[in-house]
Amino acid sequence: MKPKHFHPFRGFTAILLKEFIVVLRDPMTLFFMLFPPIVEMIAFGYALDTDVKHMATLVLDEDRTMESRQIIDQFENTQTFRVVGEVHSVSELAEAIRRGKAYVGIEIPPDFTRNLHANRTARIQVLIDGSNSSIASSALNTALNIGFRNGLLTLAERIDLKDLPVEVRPQVLYNPEMRSPNFFIPGVIGVVLQIATVFATAMSLVRERERGTLEQLLVSPLSRWGLMLGKLVPYLCIGMLMGAALFAIMRYVFHVPIAGNVGTLMLGTLLYVFCLLSLGLLISTKAENQIQALQMSMMFILPSVFFSGFIFPRETMPAIFYWISCTLPATYYIELERAVVLRGASLMDFGFNLVVLGAMGAALFSLCALRFKQKIA
Amino acid sequence: MAAEPMIQCDNLTKRFGHFTAVDHVSFTVAKGSIFGFLGPNGSGKSTVIRMLCGLLEPSDGRATLAGFDVAKETEKIKSLIGYMSQKFSLYDELTVYENLTFYSRLYGLSGAALAKRREELITLTHLEPYLNRRASLLSGGWRQRLAMACSLVHRPSVLFLDEPTAGIDPVARRELWDLLFEFSSQGITLFVTTHYMDEAERCSHVGYIYMSKLVVCGEPDDLKQLPMVNPPDTKRIDVTCDHVTKGLQAIRHLPGVRTATVFGQSMHLLVDKTVSEEYIRGQLEKVNIPHADIRPIAPSLEDVFVALTTSSSNNGGGK
Repeated sequence: MKPKHFHPFRGFTAILLKEFIVVLRDPMTLFFMLFPPIVEMIAFGYALDTDVKHMATLVLDEDRTMESRQIIDQFENTQTFRVVGEVHSVSELAEAIRRGKAYVGIEIPPDFTRNLHANRTARIQVLIDGSNSSIASSALNTALNIGFRNGLLTLAERIDLKDLPVEVRPQVLYNPEMRSPNFFIPGVIGVVLQIATVFATAMSLVRERERGTLEQLLVSPLSRWGLMLGKLVPYLCIGMLMGAALFAIMRYVFHVPIAGNVGTLMLGTLLYVFCLLSLGLLISTKAENQIQALQMSMMFILPSVFFSGFIFPRETMPAIFYWISCTLPATYYIELERAVVLRGASLMDFGFNLVVLGAMGAALFSLCALRFKQKIA
Repeated sequence: MAAEPMIQCDNLTKRFGHFTAVDHVSFTVAKGSIFGFLGPNGSGKSTVIRMLCGLLEPSDGRATLAGFDVAKETEKIKSLIGYMSQKFSLYDELTVYENLTFYSRLYGLSGAALAKRREELITLTHLEPYLNRRASLLSGGWRQRLAMACSLVHRPSVLFLDEPTAGIDPVARRELWDLLFEFSSQGITLFVTTHYMDEAERCSHVGYIYMSKLVVCGEPDDLKQLPMVNPPDTKRIDVTCDHVTKGLQAIRHLPGVRTATVFGQSMHLLVDKTVSEEYIRGQLEKVNIPHADIRPIAPSLEDVFVALTTSSSNNGGGK
């Protein structure tokens, strides 16, 4: 027998090269790794656009004066409302909203201008479809604002004031147009990266178990670290490729500028993907078949969608969910991503997140190598 | 043949929960022998192989391979054994050539050594025409040759083959055995499980496992001499005649006939010594079978296993 030195990663090259061929030869694996995240990214990206703009609005102008037309113009000028037509009765207005023809109805009563000039309260009625609460509240605020402003200006005129006594001049930093994609898209990337990567490694080892090739590997002198790393590295390459593609879509399809350093972003992505792949491997040491692997992966991915701060801010969560969010790699990654993409944060500013991601990845990877039994029962 | 032992099992036992898959099995496999391990499905054959390969931890007892404890010194036995599992586990996405390369690398070969060994194995198993074919597109016989080549890359001292001929056509089956004899002549110890009795007859030693227990173990010729197989005052005869199944119905319940089984165009009988050829001929003529060729025969391995299985299940309740 040839003398063999113990090598902690023995068999790594063999597994690595084999895995690359297997992945590249199996178009379905590659397809399921690359296609769904990109579709999900585009779908999520458009669906999560919560900017309230150009809401279909119907007008019932019973006053028909210059003043009433000015008020309607003010509504349109906010960009929140878009007048799509006129109606001739209150019931017609209500009916149109019920049928979904419009979100908002503005009714200006016949005595509007008269009341305005007679120092009586001039009323405008605004009907809003409240089905979608966030859209409705945005419309409501805009409408109320117009009312307040007009009221104050009229009041100021009467007491001969040239300027309003208080004026707030907001300056929005980092996302000056307050486009919601800028906030959501980086989060979407964090979430969709999980789906393909966790499944990919979870499946790849389970498939070997199902096919019986794992037994063949176990009787060989392959070390478990070599097996795990050989399985992980090809998917790490694919994961990084996918990450780059997703950032390109973010930049060029959704026009979200990357304020910070792309290198920092990719370093974060590398650690994050490593974490996710290790998690997939950990699942595969436990799961006996592909269905189980799929279910276990979902058990991890779903909480990440809700608790990672991707949609709901973590700070307002009940304590228990906040603590759950602290255990999820997605939380740290999405925070890092947003900071780098939107605020141009540097490596040092979010070094903590990188360290946490790296530590999580190393811990998960070690755990699955140690947990992996070189026995079949 | 007093060759040194390659594999020694001592009360090897495996329990899965309440089920005992392998029950205190003890046997020895001599270096360089072809050991045939027989038994029905689910009798524990694969479990024994998996324990000997270090894939399963024995619940009780121990086994050594080349002197190494298979449970405790697993890493040491890995370079000594080749294992071909039941399903000829290969990577379907890889070609024949790539499968061979992969397994060679897995066992630490590289560069010129790898290329040389790969060539040797290709020549040995005649895989040249299929080198660029995906493993998934190979027929059963060629898959099994490839699996065998892959399990030999590191020149193991022992080769375990778990039902290598299941689902293979007869020609491929014979060619496989030719290959196995070639390995054996090179000094490799072979441990083969099978269902086929004709394959068992080719082995230098056989073991028969039934209901998790080893029923018998030894050289085929010795087993055929066992008293349990040849009860006193009985003889085995072969009766060749027309309408064998009809004849069997006429013969099997006669006094003095202990067992009767159809073998193709003839039947094998175990009868009392007192039962004469004329008596059997007479009984066959009664059912309109005029010509019968009757001659004495030695027990086959199948007879051995049937006899021992029957007696072991009869004793099973009492013991």
